[in-house]
Amino acid sequence: MLEVNNLNVFYDKIQVIWELAMQVNKKEAVGIFGPNGSGKSTLIKAILGLVDSVEGEVLFRGQDLTKKKTYNIMRQGISLVPQNRELFPDMTVKENLKLGSAFISEARQSTDETLDFIYHIFPVLKKREEQLAGTLSGGQQRMLTVGRGLMAKPQLLILDEPSVGLQPSLVIELFQKLKEIKEKDVSILLAEQNVRQGLKIIDRGYVLENGRIVLEESAEDLLENEHIQKSYLGI
Amino acid sequence: MKINQKKTSWLFAILFFIVIIVGIWDASALIYGLQRGSLYALIALPLAMVLGIMDILNLAHGELLTVGLYASYVLFINFSIDPLISTLPVFIFLVILGGIIYFLTIKKVLGEGHLPQLLLTFGISIMLIELIKIYWTTRPRNVYRAYASSSITIGNFRIGSYEFLYVFLAFAVFLLLKLFLKKTRLGQAVYAVGQNPRGAEIVGINVDLVYLFIFCLSSGILGLTAGVMLPRVSIFPLTGNPFSLISFALVAMAGMGSINGILLAGITLGIAEAVIQAIPGYGGWSDLVFFGVLIAVIMAKNIQEA
Amino acid sequence: MKKIIFYLFFVIMAATLPYYAGGYLLHVSTTILIFMSLSLSWDMMLRTGQLSFGNAGFFGLGAYASLISVSNLDIHPVLSLFFAAVFAAGVALVVGFAVLRLRKIYFAITTLALALVFEVIVMNLSDLTGGSSGRVLPQAIFGGNSVLIYWLILFITIIVILISELLNKSKTHYAINSIRNDEITARSSGINVFKYLVFVFVFTSAIQGIIGGVYTQQYAFVMPESTFSLDFLLLPIAMALVGGIYTTMGPILGAIFLGLISEYLKLIMPYGHLFIYGLIIVIVILFLPEGIYKVARKKYRNRKSQEVKLDASSEGK
Repeated sequence: MLEVNNLNVFYDKIQVIWELAMQVNKKEAVGIFGPNGSGKSTLIKAILGLVDSVEGEVLFRGQDLTKKKTYNIMRQGISLVPQNRELFPDMTVKENLKLGSAFISEARQSTDETLDFIYHIFPVLKKREEQLAGTLSGGQQRMLTVGRGLMAKPQLLILDEPSVGLQPSLVIELFQKLKEIKEKDVSILLAEQNVRQGLKIIDRGYVLENGRIVLEESAEDLLENEHIQKSYLGI
Repeated sequence: MKINQKKTSWLFAILFFIVIIVGIWDASALIYGLQRGSLYALIALPLAMVLGIMDILNLAHGELLTVGLYASYVLFINFSIDPLISTLPVFIFLVILGGIIYFLTIKKVLGEGHLPQLLLTFGISIMLIELIKIYWTTRPRNVYRAYASSSITIGNFRIGSYEFLYVFLAFAVFLLLKLFLKKTRLGQAVYAVGQNPRGAEIVGINVDLVYLFIFCLSSGILGLTAGVMLPRVSIFPLTGNPFSLISFALVAMAGMGSINGILLAGITLGIAEAVIQAIPGYGGWSDLVFFGVLIAVIMAKNIQEA
Repeated sequence: MKKIIFYLFFVIMAATLPYYAGGYLLHVSTTILIFMSLSLSWDMMLRTGQLSFGNAGFFGLGAYASLISVSNLDIHPVLSLFFAAVFAAGVALVVGFAVLRLRKIYFAITTLALALVFEVIVMNLSDLTGGSSGRVLPQAIFGGNSVLIYWLILFITIIVILISELLNKSKTHYAINSIRNDEITARSSGINVFKYLVFVFVFTSAIQGIIGGVYTQQYAFVMPESTFSLDFLLLPIAMALVGGIYTTMGPILGAIFLGLISEYLKLIMPYGHLFIYGLIIVIVILFLPEGIYKVARKKYRNRKSQEVKLDASSEGK
């Protein structure tokens, strides 16, 4: 479904991603793990056209995304749950959610059903429907961001470090919700530092270090992997 | 851009207080201030939109109004089109002009910080002023329309009745704009971009298109206002110039990006000016009221932030 | 050392100009120097990251202060320049204290309003200022001797250039640069940002006040329309932008370049010649944001560094 080939990304002539290749298949949940600054966020930004200097190929359902503008990429069936939320603080929770589907033609007609589905997964959002997004707690804002991403009825949901800044109990709750979402046949691309939680929902994972992929394994194998155990799980 | 108001209540309080005092002292100043203040608000609204949504302070704002006035003037002189009817073609003309300015210049400095944006729009404002000077010189021009000089008498006061059109138009435009922002998809897109352009892009909004739309619409509203103003003002290349400053003063007063506040702020300023003007021998100082207001607001913000 | 001789040469050339140049060239040079000082003063404020549109306002303020102090208080014209400076500085201090805490667009717009505000004040205080018809002095400074006037203005300009260099070389330079580039870091490293901003705003306004005073003493009259003219706002900005901002050389080169063009423009385009300056500002912002001086210097350096690179790569082989 998503295929990245030979990707090189630069910030002001400094190369941050090298010859990267990866893919996400239909109905598959894929993780990208790596320490801070390894290039996880940059990879996601490159896929979504949020960085300028990108070389290589990013194919989504056969279409090359590298020439497309971000808003247009988001209309192809990809949704992003960004790391720093990017909500609309002066709009209500409901308005935020509705904006998630308002500009995606496939999702717009079924806005009400999707909304019900999201309220079902995140009952707290239903409760706070008319509250301004800026007044929600950090955890609730994260739920709202995921909800907004789902409103677009994406075929691929990309999550950029959803656990960042959340207290442990909320992280566990969030990943349970993500598991529910995964069962709705949405492909997931998850960039995460929290490997322990990430491994619970993914099928397959890549390990990214210094802008290069150093490992690609299934979730079970990653759990067994010595490097992973030492560097990421602290076993 | 905030529609959900938090801070306009104090403006309401000040306005209410002024209205009572002035109403007792000189009722005509009150009505005159309401009329003039509505016009200020109408002109400040587009500046507030561009500033609130695109984060660009357009120093050529007043000059777009001047261009509108001259366009309306030309239509009247050459084709005898009544200024009120010419509001439509002038609206369209300014939408197009706004689009051209956006594509050629503004688009290139979006997100570049205030410095190049201020200098750029300052340069554009000079270019427009000087172009007008080259074609029409600095000689003031007037358009006389009988309907615009009618007046009504209340008690001992004579008040221009045409200017009530400003009040009507201001309220109409504000109402329509709010409906548009709340109820339409494009309006919601505009609103979203104003709060968080990156977030807007992520939900599939073409941010560039929204910017273009806002700049064109703002420019268009100035065209509309120009046609309505023309019968009551004398036009010269610098007619619109002070309006950039006045509009900014109103925006500062209302709080950045607030729409409701603009109307209140405009009326407050209008009444305050009318009061100063009514003081015998000191009428000439009324041009400084907006500056006093601006400095007062800035001082208040200083205290808030300290 | 080579540099000092180079600069000295230029100073001597400039100082001896009256001996080999005709009256017209002297007049043009005087005007260029006036705008050069204004341009440098504008740029010095910009170096702190604050865009000021106040130059025309303080210029006008200085002009009136100087004229009124000569004709009402009967002080010597040269002394009146100090009066103009102090007056402009005082007003800048008050305005700066009010506005410089908020900065950015608030500062820009407030300074933009200043010329208008001063003009309204001048119009209304007609007993003192002559209102809209202005006032005249019985005679110009130094009895209208254009050579002496030129020297006076050259002297002031050299001092302004030295101040500008000092500002770009001394310890203040680091403070100012860091305020412009990253204010939070500047603050956390112990720089009193507000104090620096007020300081620079006050002394650049004082320079503008002096220049306004000199200008008035040269032409022996003030009038709101011409004293608060857009020229004194627009040209200095265009000059600094064309030459290259944040440097001393930029405004100097820009002033000479645009000053010469300006004389020509006034001849062929009596109406609306300022259009060109508006256009210049727009073009520079869009296509040449670094100005001529820096682009030229960079090209020169690039060529040098390419040569170095070539050397290095040939060694590698």
